[in-house]
Amino acid sequence: MASKARPGAGALDGLALGLLLWRVQLQMFINQTIRSRNAGRIAGTIAGAVVILLAWSWEGFVTWLGVEASHRMQVHVDSVHLLSLAFLAYTGVLVFSSLVFSLNTLLLNPDLELLLAAPRSVESVLASRMVVQVLRLFLLSLLFTAPALVLLGVVNQTPLIPLAFAVLFLLYPVFVVVIISLMSLLLVRIIPVGRGREVLTLFGIALAIGINLANFLLNPALRDPGFARHPGVAPSLPDVPAASSAWLPSGWAGRSAAAILSGDWVTAGQWLLLLLAASAAIFAAGSVLNGRLYMAGWIQAVPPRRRHAAARVRRSKGALPLLSPVMAAVVIKDWRMRTRDLAQLVRFIMPVVFLFIIFGLRFPRELGAVRSLGGGPPAAMIGLIPAWILLFSLSISLGLSAVSLEGKSIWVYVASPNSTMRFLQAKCWSTALPTASLVALAALAAEIIIRPGWLWAVTAVVLAVAEAIAVTTLMVGIGAVFARFDWTDARRMMHPVGVFIGMGLFSIISVASALLLVISMALAAVTRFPLFTTWLAAMTIAVGGAIAVAALGILFGNQHLRGLEVG
Amino acid sequence: MLSTRLLTKRYGSLTAVEDLDLEVRAGELFGFLGPNGAGKTTTIKMLVGLLRPTSGNAKVAGIDIAAEPEKAKALIGYVPDAATLYDKLSAREFLEFSGDLYHVERKLRDRRIAALLKLFDLQERGDDFLSGYSRGMRQKVSLAAALLHDPQVLFLDEPTVGLDPQSARQMKDILQDFCREGKTVFFSTHILEIAERMCTRLAIINHGRLVAMGSLQDLRHMVGQDGQSLEQIFLELTGSREDDVSAVLRGLES
Repeated sequence: MASKARPGAGALDGLALGLLLWRVQLQMFINQTIRSRNAGRIAGTIAGAVVILLAWSWEGFVTWLGVEASHRMQVHVDSVHLLSLAFLAYTGVLVFSSLVFSLNTLLLNPDLELLLAAPRSVESVLASRMVVQVLRLFLLSLLFTAPALVLLGVVNQTPLIPLAFAVLFLLYPVFVVVIISLMSLLLVRIIPVGRGREVLTLFGIALAIGINLANFLLNPALRDPGFARHPGVAPSLPDVPAASSAWLPSGWAGRSAAAILSGDWVTAGQWLLLLLAASAAIFAAGSVLNGRLYMAGWIQAVPPRRRHAAARVRRSKGALPLLSPVMAAVVIKDWRMRTRDLAQLVRFIMPVVFLFIIFGLRFPRELGAVRSLGGGPPAAMIGLIPAWILLFSLSISLGLSAVSLEGKSIWVYVASPNSTMRFLQAKCWSTALPTASLVALAALAAEIIIRPGWLWAVTAVVLAVAEAIAVTTLMVGIGAVFARFDWTDARRMMHPVGVFIGMGLFSIISVASALLLVISMALAAVTRFPLFTTWLAAMTIAVGGAIAVAALGILFGNQHLRGLEVG
Repeated sequence: MLSTRLLTKRYGSLTAVEDLDLEVRAGELFGFLGPNGAGKTTTIKMLVGLLRPTSGNAKVAGIDIAAEPEKAKALIGYVPDAATLYDKLSAREFLEFSGDLYHVERKLRDRRIAALLKLFDLQERGDDFLSGYSRGMRQKVSLAAALLHDPQVLFLDEPTVGLDPQSARQMKDILQDFCREGKTVFFSTHILEIAERMCTRLAIINHGRLVAMGSLQDLRHMVGQDGQSLEQIFLELTGSREDDVSAVLRGLES
């Protein structure tokens, strides 16, 4: 299958194939949106376009303000270095995006086999993927910068500015995409079959935690107590002197961009030509190397993992106290699916990790301020904040995806002699149990540290657990109404409208509960009723209200599932 | 054991199945044949309660599947054409789950699982995740799950797809044994040779309508030519003519 064509032929054929693939993707996008004949999708497309237009208007306005300010206030900056720095930062985005795209393409996209089966060389198929990625990044760049560039062209009376920048945006990502594509081909050789999604998820988690931890540790605004900016710490950009080096693409792009903005077209053209020549060369070389790497070994070299003997012994007997065998079966099956799939497991772990980063690292500094409130309901309520954030995250991610978790395997349950209501009850158990447990732990830990008085602490924890059960149940109901059985990817299981409604209802329930508790304290002060009595009454109303809303959610969800047809 | 009366399924203006009348007796191995898109899978999905008929009804052991779905489903085993199973469960765990869904008592369930894994040569891989299984192995797990609760009627949609000849033969033996116990098998297939050798009675559906039903001999009488193979009868009844195919192929060459 190795290509024996003349050098560069693979790259040229890849270019043509890439454009063909791009056209197909565009066609699919149009079919799924404007031509879908689906009112919801068409409305979503229009809403998306309106949001983009609004963002563009805002960007245009801000750019105009910047231009006006620069006319009134002379600021001397090294524009070449500043723009080179911007391109270097953009390289970071390109690296991340390209890595995700390349790994996705090689490990998850099913159409690679289809393309490789066609009478095209491996080089051209892999080159076509790079072309598609460059085009995606090019459009993404334009999406974010188009209004600013057009406005700069109008203000400077140089309509060529947006066009010249478009050329720059088209050429600049090439070298990143090629290098990342080569790296991905090396990387996938050590990833076993079927573990691509896990690897991508791990990569995402590491990046997300890294960014948040770095932000927490380095951001001066977050380093100081009370979120106050230290007067002596001026906001500054980290400088990388090498960014504008004439030996680096960021330096070429920076010089070209600065020349375009100053109207020096000869200099701009020279640097653009250099970028074009380097991009073409690296693309041609990368295409050949990609082909060689692919032929040298592919992911199939690593066999799928066999389970360890220990894992087989640890098997649960499939029974849970208080639950019927059917419900226990669903709960245990869900637990296994959530904990064995890394993408699902993240749904448990990430909120806890972020909670630790946000609160765990900051809590000791804020503890004094909370304790100064003394014992009683206000301190107990403040202690519930971490648990509430955890509840928000878990109830949305676990509750809303509970029904969709079945995916295409939903037929197994639908074909069995069990009602949809029983199915929903099982789903409530499978999500409420872990959510309520983690929320209880978070609330308990916070109340123990704050020490608002044992009575208030106990009632606060009880409130958190009761609301956790009610809210998660509600989310399961909403998730059933907006169930998606076509997705196996955890991130895509939740319907955006379902998420929107879920978040809205969570906010309403939270605000209403907090208001009720504040009113109970005010009422006790005014009427001289014992505070504990009014507090308990407020808690009962808050939990009762949440349960009533949750019951409604489950009823709607059941109604929807009863009409479900597995076609 | 199984009957349908004027069973119809419409999707908007498209009629997938129209006025289907079927009668399948206990102990029969019933083959349901038809070209691609004829309505076979839609019919089976209505019979097992995954789709609701637009009109008409279907009964399993006298129980209306639409009116009393849970009661009827307890008597049914179902193997879909491309069974999507839970990838992150092992075969054993999936069978345990399936047994619990069908209310099989725990000890009996575990005994049957051990026997079925042995029957399908899956003991060695029984604790591996289903994500690592081939299509044929998944098909076997799916059939094992369908048999686990000892159903009265077994529905199979293209059961031999993805199976190697040895496994296909094994499946054929299992289905025949199942029928010998007085139970019913209703299966759709494209492989007419298998249908010809295995089935006691057959039905042929085309464009959503039943075009023929009976034993192979009955069908031969229907087309008026004794000694014809099922393939010839099928092509005759569904209007797929060999000379048409040849003409198209000649057209492609020119």
